[in-house]
Amino acid sequence: MKHEDYKEMLAAAALDALDAAERRTLDAHLATCAGCRIELEELRAVTALLVYQDVPVAPPAKLRARLLAQLKSTPQTPRVGGGALIPANGAPVGDTTGAATPVTATNVLPFAPAPRMLFGARPRVVFATLAASIIIAALASTLAVLWAQNRRMQTDLARLTQNLHETQQTLVSVRADRELLAALDTHTTALAGTDVANGARARITYDERTGRAVFVIAGLPAPPPGKAYQLWFIADGKPLPGHVFNTDTSGRAEVREQIPPQGRHAQIFAVTLEPQAGVSAPTGQIYLKGTT
Amino acid sequence: MRNKLLLLPTAYCLLPTAATVSSIEQAQPTSDTELLHAIARGDELSLATLYDRYSAILLGLMLRILHSRPEAEDVLQEVFLQVWRRAADFDEARGRGFTWLVTLARSRAIDRLRSLDARGRAATAAQREVQEETADAADDVLHAEQRAIVLAALAQLPAEQSRALLLAYFDGLTQSEIAAHLQQPLGTIKTRMRSGLIKLRELLHEQMQTARLML
Repeated sequence: MKHEDYKEMLAAAALDALDAAERRTLDAHLATCAGCRIELEELRAVTALLVYQDVPVAPPAKLRARLLAQLKSTPQTPRVGGGALIPANGAPVGDTTGAATPVTATNVLPFAPAPRMLFGARPRVVFATLAASIIIAALASTLAVLWAQNRRMQTDLARLTQNLHETQQTLVSVRADRELLAALDTHTTALAGTDVANGARARITYDERTGRAVFVIAGLPAPPPGKAYQLWFIADGKPLPGHVFNTDTSGRAEVREQIPPQGRHAQIFAVTLEPQAGVSAPTGQIYLKGTT
Repeated sequence: MRNKLLLLPTAYCLLPTAATVSSIEQAQPTSDTELLHAIARGDELSLATLYDRYSAILLGLMLRILHSRPEAEDVLQEVFLQVWRRAADFDEARGRGFTWLVTLARSRAIDRLRSLDARGRAATAAQREVQEETADAADDVLHAEQRAIVLAALAQLPAEQSRALLLAYFDGLTQSEIAAHLQQPLGTIKTRMRSGLIKLRELLHEQMQTARLML
């Protein structure tokens, strides 16, 4: 098959419209052709946009609540062994050592019987043997140093990548807070403690457009064992579940929340005491309540 | 004195400029890529944000592909759980977050479609094409601009090209199945798909740059 033939398969591949056999043929080619891989990725970006040809349909609020509740029990898969990093950068390194080993081997072999004939040999041979040994020793130690250095750099890289991820994470939440502050549709509602939590008070700041919210609580005693507090958004009389949280020993908590679209025009915010895992409809007593 | 007077208007001119720049910066929401990275680190709020951003679009896609509300909702949930589990696999060097998400969602829906009904698909495709979507359309202000651009670009393609593209995209038909369904030679269908997609790429390319089509 010519390269042009593979290129002609890319559009259908981006639409997953190739037959299984064609797909396998193309996959084999993609493994060795970066140009085609890039073009396929570009065409996929275009096909992904076809999703806009369709009419959006709002999913029910309970689907969102169920999904978010399921996250707690769904483990995340870490990236397999650093993913792209190892095959891309690791292969050439492997090749070098792979090539170096036979070279050393062929270099060593002729000199292997050397100790036996060292004394009987001519000075020139002895010198050559010594020189070769020194060179080999030097090469070996250089290799060891490079290997150690490589290991160290890999550890450093892993640590830096970790740092970078943590920084990105912080950046995302800081940016979210900043967006919340800067948004024109940001509202603040104060919540007061009910009879069961006299000294408690709270404040929720939320962006009606994006649903981002920061909820700050003070003076709410730590929940009894097995229990936790849960936040509710009550819109048109219907309570939508929010985050489950605990307060610290000083009765404080800060909760970041993403309010579901149906709850963004909530008239009432409330906090109830619920089982630790949270519930989809309130069952416990109200501890904090605020009306917009 | 004269210097001071000259300086004042300059300062006034600078003020609104600075304000405009910062408000543009503030208007830029967290990108899909940033969200996916945060999800990979276990941030549930970012998953909720991504869900709020795309669930209505994706449910529309699921319904269009599966024609069943319970199936569509089920696959939608599956897709976001998959995003949660596999967000670490997303590699921004290989493509955009939006492409990754939509590709994942569509392939999940097509898998479900194929497992539900392996034979009757091509036969009912024609029916489905004309079937009017009666589901409750969401008020999607967030993506109205993108939709308008994509629809305008699709409208510029010859009808038979966009038809081939949409049959593959929304009905999960292969080239050979489309050829059989439209009773056209396979070579014709291949050409239509390829020309259609390449034309669409050209049409959307400029728009993508200017309109921030994908976050």
